[in-house]
Amino acid sequence: MSAQLQENRDSVVLYGRRWSRENAGLSRTFDILVVIIMFIAITAAFHLHFQLTVGDWDFWVDWKDRQYWVTATPILLMAFPAALQYVFWEKFRLPIAATVCMLGLTLGIWITRYSGFHTWSYFPFSMVWPATMIAGGLILDAVLLLSGSALITAIIGGMSFGLLFYPANWPLLAPFRLPMEAMNSLVSVGDYIGYAYTRTSTPEYLRFIERGTLRTFGGHSAVVSAFFSGFVCILVYLLWWYIGMAFARVATLPNRMKSFMGLHDRGAEGKDA
Amino acid sequence: MRPSRRVSGLLLGLLALIAASEVAAHGERNQEPFLRMRTAHFYDVTWSTDKVKVNEDVVIEGKFRLFEDWPANLPEPDVAFLGNGTPGPVFVRTESWLNGQPAIQSVPLKIDRDYAFKTVLKGRIPGDHHVHPMVNVEGAGPLMGPGSWVQVAGRASDFVLPLTTLDGTKIDNLETWGVSSVVGWHSVWIVIAILWLVWWTRRPLLIPRLVAIDEGREKLLISRADLAAGAVLIVLTVSVVVIGFVWAENTFPRTIPLQGGRAVVKPLPRTEAPVDVTVERATYDVPGRSMQIRASVTNHGGRPIQFGEFATSGLRFVNRELPAAMATVSATYPKELVPPAGLKLSDSAPLAPGETRSILFDMTDAAWETERLTSLLNDPDNRVGGLLFCFDDQGGRIIANVSGPIVPIFKDLVAHQGMTH
Repeated sequence: MSAQLQENRDSVVLYGRRWSRENAGLSRTFDILVVIIMFIAITAAFHLHFQLTVGDWDFWVDWKDRQYWVTATPILLMAFPAALQYVFWEKFRLPIAATVCMLGLTLGIWITRYSGFHTWSYFPFSMVWPATMIAGGLILDAVLLLSGSALITAIIGGMSFGLLFYPANWPLLAPFRLPMEAMNSLVSVGDYIGYAYTRTSTPEYLRFIERGTLRTFGGHSAVVSAFFSGFVCILVYLLWWYIGMAFARVATLPNRMKSFMGLHDRGAEGKDA
Repeated sequence: MRPSRRVSGLLLGLLALIAASEVAAHGERNQEPFLRMRTAHFYDVTWSTDKVKVNEDVVIEGKFRLFEDWPANLPEPDVAFLGNGTPGPVFVRTESWLNGQPAIQSVPLKIDRDYAFKTVLKGRIPGDHHVHPMVNVEGAGPLMGPGSWVQVAGRASDFVLPLTTLDGTKIDNLETWGVSSVVGWHSVWIVIAILWLVWWTRRPLLIPRLVAIDEGREKLLISRADLAAGAVLIVLTVSVVVIGFVWAENTFPRTIPLQGGRAVVKPLPRTEAPVDVTVERATYDVPGRSMQIRASVTNHGGRPIQFGEFATSGLRFVNRELPAAMATVSATYPKELVPPAGLKLSDSAPLAPGETRSILFDMTDAAWETERLTSLLNDPDNRVGGLLFCFDDQGGRIIANVSGPIVPIFKDLVAHQGMTH
């Protein structure tokens, strides 16, 4: 039996405090209910955020480029994990917020890609597969656990979050970057999929993709993009950590409206007394 | 209303929803008339067939002219893409050509110039599909050509799109290419994430931990085993990323980035139109569904000409008294876009070389309403535009631009005012 959990017939010690078995059981039931509700809520909210911000870059195989997709996706994804890490860590010492976010997001994306894009709209799954973001979430949680510091998590975890995104997705993406010839032109397999399967109101020029090259580092624009993304992730992590802190605080304001309406504010009276 | 009737009504409504046929159109009539009348005018459009099986081709060919009187509120077509107006990917586009050049990339186009296009579509999803040629212009959106129904028969599961890449990789079916790899790697990460969550959620979570922190016992919440698990997680995560990257590099050593360049396509050679059309007055009789354009027409050419067709927004008002004009209407052209009354002229005598004459062109048909072109009367830019096809006595065709302001005629209002006076 670990030091965290010690049991006898009538009671159980949880993290240094003795709980009756009934209370411990109720607490566990509460855990289960809240975990289910929170997972669904985080999945829905984070998925909506993802759809509205990352959007097309992740929807389509011919938008997953070396520049904007690599740069924008981690930065935009950082919001929920950072804010929730504050709550999960500061209130419960649970280093799982980023993983929960990414797992929920993965579940939500797979549901919409399969049902909305593939089944409903006829796009082949080879065109609309989602990127994986779980590696970054795992690193964020692990660094927070080991360091116990938001600043170190921002610097090491945030940078890793940006850096790992592209290599973690390369095994998924590489088959779609094979070169092929179509109508006497060189294109990648991903380009051709995007061309062949018509998105009526999304013509080729709407793609927000790399159309030149970042001319440093021998044209390896994904590397430059990943480092830039990681750097911005550091800042975004801290921003959202403090936003999480602000939203986790309970604040009250004196009710002036009653006095404007000629009513007594009993709370204010009591305070004065 | 009795409850049983309410229930019956509700059931009836639900049945109507279930029985409702699939929505097949895709909003082409909802585009503003100024977009359809004064941007891309498609002509000579043909569909190779109106019925294909899954995996069979339908070829759409024709030409379009980017109209001289291009709306001032639209950007010029500096970036454009030859698309196809279909209900999503019910067909697969295997080829598209602009003036013989590949149209896989976006191109700049020129106003008042003509382009020949060809698109090859392969049947994929069974059903009756409305198929349009289309040009997308950045800032102006999709500009649709005429649409024709094409039936795709067979089973969707029979569709395949095989190809071979430049490194010799044979792809049996692009529909499923790479999907197993995507599913596999996602599964790996999902399993690791679930293991990490189970590690933490197997013990009391919320209230006991919150209480422990409030009472200053937070050190009991993280054990040495937890820290070790965190360290293992970092090593495992980085290792899996590296292994995956190396595997991909070894499996697919020759890859290229997305190709986002712009192509260049020269327009068709300019053919000087020796016919000059100046609109004197154009009216639309609202209750009569009749458009009348009085125009001064000058024949600068060397041969007498006759007027065979006025075309706008895919509608073709053809002069049925002119055999040369009727011969241009192919059997596959959608009949609902060729109004039966056609084009009527106030004076159908040939226009002699050098002659200028004022002619009234009458196009009357309910198609103005069904195609929702009469809503141009609500547009802030109230001008009509179209192409006038003229034929000389040797069968030669001349295409002239026609554009000018249009005035609505509300006859019911005129009649009402007459009665009050």
